[in-house]
Amino acid sequence: MTALLRLIGTGGVIAYRALFNWTTPAMFVGTLLVGPLFQLLFFAYLGRQLGVADDGFYITGNAVLAASLACVFGGTMAVSNERRFGTLGHVLLSPRSRTAVFLGRVLPYAGNGLLIAVTTLTAASLLLGLRVPVDALPGLLLTLAVAALACGFFGLTLGAIGLRFRDVWLVSNVSVALLLLLTGVNVPAAGLPAWMRVTGELLPITHAAEAARRLVAGEGFRAAAPQLAAELAIAVAYAILAAVLLKVFEAESRRRASLETL
Amino acid sequence: MIAVGALLHAKQLSRSPFEIATALIVPVVQATLAVYLFRAGGEPGRLLEAAVGAGLMGIWSSVLFGSGGAIQNQRWQGTLEMIMLAPRPPALVVLPITLATALTGTYAMLATLAWGRLLYGIPLTFADPLAFAVAVPGCIISLGMFGLLLASTFVLLRNANALTNTMEYPIWLVSGMLIPITALPGWTGPIGAVLPTTWGARAVREAATGSGPVWPSLGICLAISVACLALGALMMTHVERRARAAATLALA
Repeated sequence: MTALLRLIGTGGVIAYRALFNWTTPAMFVGTLLVGPLFQLLFFAYLGRQLGVADDGFYITGNAVLAASLACVFGGTMAVSNERRFGTLGHVLLSPRSRTAVFLGRVLPYAGNGLLIAVTTLTAASLLLGLRVPVDALPGLLLTLAVAALACGFFGLTLGAIGLRFRDVWLVSNVSVALLLLLTGVNVPAAGLPAWMRVTGELLPITHAAEAARRLVAGEGFRAAAPQLAAELAIAVAYAILAAVLLKVFEAESRRRASLETL
Repeated sequence: MIAVGALLHAKQLSRSPFEIATALIVPVVQATLAVYLFRAGGEPGRLLEAAVGAGLMGIWSSVLFGSGGAIQNQRWQGTLEMIMLAPRPPALVVLPITLATALTGTYAMLATLAWGRLLYGIPLTFADPLAFAVAVPGCIISLGMFGLLLASTFVLLRNANALTNTMEYPIWLVSGMLIPITALPGWTGPIGAVLPTTWGARAVREAATGSGPVWPSLGICLAISVACLALGALMMTHVERRARAAATLALA
């Protein structure tokens, strides 16, 4: 058990440091902290001008969504960059459980996402004057953590797809753009067609954003719990899907000798 | 040389499924988002503005990521030394690349307009069709020139492609591509006023909706862009010499 936890924890951190290598502290702050904050401000001012919803709606929703950038791309990188750097074969030759190896890789990215979401929420609340009830903070932190984890496993699913399809970055870019539209973070769900609402229900962020809004509105943890449970279920579902796809596509890559094909 | 170079690079970019799909799909998603936001805000009369705004956002993204990657892509392809060895000022070699990224950005504008017309029945009745037909290419050329200044700045940075991620939303915001500048805090005004994106977006929007005179906005946009071109050319020469002296041209 200790060995498994070490594989997941230490292995995940080493992989994070190796595969997330393009960031320097300045780039990290610029891309992952400043970028999402401006995204939030863009939609907050747009929503304010159109009178769609109040600032709280946009601040809370976009703060939850802020985790998605690092987590979705991170989860994708966790698989795709191994192939890009020519080390995927070594990982797959390992006698240890690949499911544990890859699922463990999501954890540092989820931690990253949580940091980004908390920073974005704090900065935006200070800039736009949102008051968050103090007793809502623990629940809010848990909600952001679950959302980050769900996004990480969603990204890992996309990374697994990258074992089969070459243009995984296209899939990631489009997926991140679709999260903006379908999760009800920027357009209230009532304003979206039914099929978009249903699709959004199956994506990460949707339920967490709703739970976070209830917490910020002071409705208490009990009111947010069903949405939080739904987000957790989404996270588990994507983790299972990622594990299955990784197994299937690994076997297929070996059979077709296309493991290192870019 | 600029025209042939821009065409060559535009053709090259147009053969990349990633570039084309990104230029088509992401702006369409943003246009859809804008349409539903404007509808939710009870502004169905402004849907053309939403589609045009989303198209402009797509053009900026194309220029930003294209210019950010202009030098880096040449490095990765192993062609940076060759183009810098060409017996031409470096700016003349890089400008076609940034112009080409702006040109491929027109896919975004075409996609959002077609998407809006076909799916949401947005009438493409431009207040001044002739001015719109001039303003869009004018805006594209201007952004291409602005892209040279960005590319010359990015050449000094190892991770320019990461920096570009940060600059997408701020420029969309302060340039008023989807949000009127009057809705923003006052301190953003001076920043927006010196950006060609602000005046280009204004000219295109004025041509589409008839909300003001197009030509002064387009003129200011072009004037700022020419200044960016001159500054970018000087900068490019400076950084090229510096990179040669330090032998860092090919180092990513």
